[in-house]
Amino acid sequence: MSTLRLKGGRIIDPANGIDGEVRDIGVRDGRIVALHPAEKVDREFDVSGMVVMAGGIDMHTHIGGGKVNLARMLLPEDHRANRAPDNPLELASAGCCTPGTLATGYRYAEMGYTAAFEPAMAPSNARHAHMEMGDTPILDHGAYVMLGNDELMLRMLAEGQDFERIRDYVGWTIHATRAMGVKVVNPGGISAFKFNQRKLDVDEDHTHWRITPRQVVQTLARALTELGIPHPLHIHASNLGVPGNIGSTLATIAALEGLRGHLTHVQFHAYGTEGARKFSSAARELAEAVNANPNVSIDVGQITFGQTVTASGDTMRQHANADLGSPRKWIGADIECDAGCGIVPFRYREESFVNALQWAIGLELFLLVDDPWRVVLTTDHPNGGPFTSYPHLIRLLMDKSFRDEQLAKLHPEVAVNALLRGIGRELSLNEIAIMTRAAPARLLGLADRGQLGEGAAADIAVYREDPDREAMFTTPEYVFKDGELVVQRGRLVATPVGGTHFLEPEFDPAIERMLAKYADEHLATAWRHAAIGRDELCACANGGRLLACPLHGRGGRK
Amino acid sequence: MTANPASPPPAAATGRPWTCPFCPLCCDGFSLAAAPRPTLIGSDCGRAAAALSHFGAAPASATARVDGRAVDHRSAVAAAAAILGASAQPLFAGLATDVAGMRALYRLANGCGAILDHANGDALMVSTRALQDRGVFYTTLAEIRNRADLVVCLGTNATDHYPEFFRRTAPAADAPARHVVFVGACMAASVPGLEACTTEEIGFAGDVFDTVALIAARLAGRRTAASDPALDALIVRMQAARYTVVVWESSSLPAQGALVAEAIQRIVNTLNRTTRAAAFCLGGGDGGYTANQVMTWLSGLPLRTGVHMRGLVHEPQRYATARLLAQRAVDALLWVSAFSPELAPPDTGLPLVVLGHPGLEEAAARANSVFIPVSTPGIGSAGHLFRADGGVVLPLVPIYADTLPGVAEVAADIAANIAAARAEGGAR
Ligand code: SF4
Ligand SMILES: [Zn+2]
Ligand SMILES: [Zn+2]
Repeated sequence: MSTLRLKGGRIIDPANGIDGEVRDIGVRDGRIVALHPAEKVDREFDVSGMVVMAGGIDMHTHIGGGKVNLARMLLPEDHRANRAPDNPLELASAGCCTPGTLATGYRYAEMGYTAAFEPAMAPSNARHAHMEMGDTPILDHGAYVMLGNDELMLRMLAEGQDFERIRDYVGWTIHATRAMGVKVVNPGGISAFKFNQRKLDVDEDHTHWRITPRQVVQTLARALTELGIPHPLHIHASNLGVPGNIGSTLATIAALEGLRGHLTHVQFHAYGTEGARKFSSAARELAEAVNANPNVSIDVGQITFGQTVTASGDTMRQHANADLGSPRKWIGADIECDAGCGIVPFRYREESFVNALQWAIGLELFLLVDDPWRVVLTTDHPNGGPFTSYPHLIRLLMDKSFRDEQLAKLHPEVAVNALLRGIGRELSLNEIAIMTRAAPARLLGLADRGQLGEGAAADIAVYREDPDREAMFTTPEYVFKDGELVVQRGRLVATPVGGTHFLEPEFDPAIERMLAKYADEHLATAWRHAAIGRDELCACANGGRLLACPLHGRGGRK
Repeated sequence: MTANPASPPPAAATGRPWTCPFCPLCCDGFSLAAAPRPTLIGSDCGRAAAALSHFGAAPASATARVDGRAVDHRSAVAAAAAILGASAQPLFAGLATDVAGMRALYRLANGCGAILDHANGDALMVSTRALQDRGVFYTTLAEIRNRADLVVCLGTNATDHYPEFFRRTAPAADAPARHVVFVGACMAASVPGLEACTTEEIGFAGDVFDTVALIAARLAGRRTAASDPALDALIVRMQAARYTVVVWESSSLPAQGALVAEAIQRIVNTLNRTTRAAAFCLGGGDGGYTANQVMTWLSGLPLRTGVHMRGLVHEPQRYATARLLAQRAVDALLWVSAFSPELAPPDTGLPLVVLGHPGLEEAAARANSVFIPVSTPGIGSAGHLFRADGGVVLPLVPIYADTLPGVAEVAADIAANIAAARAEGGAR
């Protein structure tokens, strides 16, 4: 039994409707509890005048798995400049755009984050992804498994197989890979590229399977709904980065037909073709669609200026963009009939019209969507920029004059004409707490995270008030993980192993016979290795806690 | 290899499903009979048979040694910690271990400021350096099975060192017809997995460097002085193929092999502008890929990196084991070789710690040496290894319960010992 009390903080806890009330927070054995004011505790922290929030949750950040590690290998120049840790608790770990897993955990925790989710786990790469996440200290973690480019699902759709069988296959895949959700990347497009197709619109046929991205999105969204998966289908829509892609993005929303869907890194999917350069912001159209469709949530994928590396499962689009890379080198791969991978280093430049506009579009999206519960703060780390730029991004969102100053430095056409100039909205601390904690927790179905109510896990970040919000969110005064003090004044004081969030959906086990036959005839791994057992997950994830999460409703078969 | 693919395994043979840890194909489709000796069933793989010959039906009894004298585990750990703790610049080499072993070795490397290189570091750096300079477009076993209509084996017949390669990538029933071209390599006599393919051997046009340069140039539309009818025909084939896979072997290339890897990348990139193609590198044996992957994700940098007071330093050339030893740039060697007694430490007079297969006992029997026998993942203990195609990790299951500790356990013990000695004021 260990208890602690945070005394006199200003609580920002949107999940419980608390916005700035001064009160104490009690913790017993890693959980938030109501403590009698007279009750003696093991440790008391005077946090008067400070802002207390739940620990941050990054819902979309490429922190672990094959393509992240390839990105590290591709850019030794990003990792060479490094210092030895000055903290004996830290092991050496380097890199800015794609740091080693150790540095990733350290730097996230130092910003007050306590959980992060890998959005693009290939089924065949699941063990590797769990290993890297297990070696990301302090943070709890989980992953969305990629479906919708696996030859099996496309084949099943092409053959007109019963929806129930596809649903069972989706459920089995989540179970087998120990995933927290499903991501579809360029629906059908990664597979199509393997058949030498270079473009695939929402209603265009896959050159081999003769099915459309619309069918893929609909089928997966319906399967997740019926399986009771809390996180809606995570959608990396068609035509990433293509001018005019607002059309396919809106078509993807329409394809959901009211089912829940989470459109990810929408900044890369909100482009029009207006103006002399045939490249324009479509943030308003997209924001209006999000406002009008309560079944839709988004994360932004804000870009920040400087060197980064883009790492995506979208081989089709990354191949098309490879010539724009800087430095000029790239990695691509066709993977195990279930995924692809494209890694292109990229430097976003303030003087570039396109990059400046991308920057403005991201911020416009944050500010034009009315409901903060459906917008999550991300840079799509590392694709738009490294996660360490979050405090800067928060300041941009909270401080109109700072935002205008930055805008003025950009390519003059953007600085003068951007829609962003006319947007006066400044986000409140409460809205930031929603976008960085409460909303991602709710969108993932993590009832006891992202909030500070009684019974919640004691993942807590305490920030010293500072009108410079970038400074404030860069260096929290205290961070607690499951009630353990892990960061004090921005410095690590403990590095526990994080836990793994995953789901155990129900599915008809009869599906396994078909899957075993398919694996035998088409794949290169023995069927007995298709699923990760619980004990094996524990070993992969470095001995961290296994956090099986509840499903919506009963889940499984109706 | 004398395999006859048509002959079924002997009917009497029974065994358990098993995953072979002895090359990075990590075959998991064969079984293993544990008695009277561990024997692979369903494959005549010579590499696996040779590796299995170093194991019996039951765990070997082996003892730790310090300066050649038998000691208990604790004394051996203390002696190893004393060597590594006193070293100003230790080298961790060999690194033939699994994921858990590498995780623990990286922690230990942080505890004593080590440089890390793998036994196959030279070959690993061929592919790593080409990747760092130009990138790569690669494919995986199942993709080859389902998609490849043309496989070009450049300077390797694949099967000499990866005996089951063609069976692991054999065309699926509904895959396109496949043609396999061996360029500058002789196809083995009887190769399981090639039954359904047409095959062809052609020579190099000059050496391997000339050949890849010629192919790359002609594919890119450049006129070249030299012309070679067989290569010209191959180039036409590649352009017409729907999915070409260029197979190469990183350890079979001469010095400057990274140039070949870069040319292969140019070939694949050019083909991908009009049709589809990808490379497949055979390499990463003895846990090489595993060590490189784990090192990269933990530290952010691949092998041939040192954990120094001034930070992490990655030196793909200077931190080669042979060079560091020759230049006396290190003053102690930790050699890890958990899979085979044949992967012995290099000859050195430096203080030496070997975490190895019991058969390596003699390799560390002199003064100033410590030998700690360790369990082999996939034989005496569970573990995980990366397969040659990068992202697939296979779980290994033991065939018996070992009496020996794993590399991870021993490395953690040594690290704890060093930390305890430091805490007592015994800092170096
Ligand atoms: S090919 Fe490699 S993995 Fe397969 S059985 Fe032979 S040695 Fe083992
Ligand atoms: Zn994506
Ligand atoms: Zn992403």
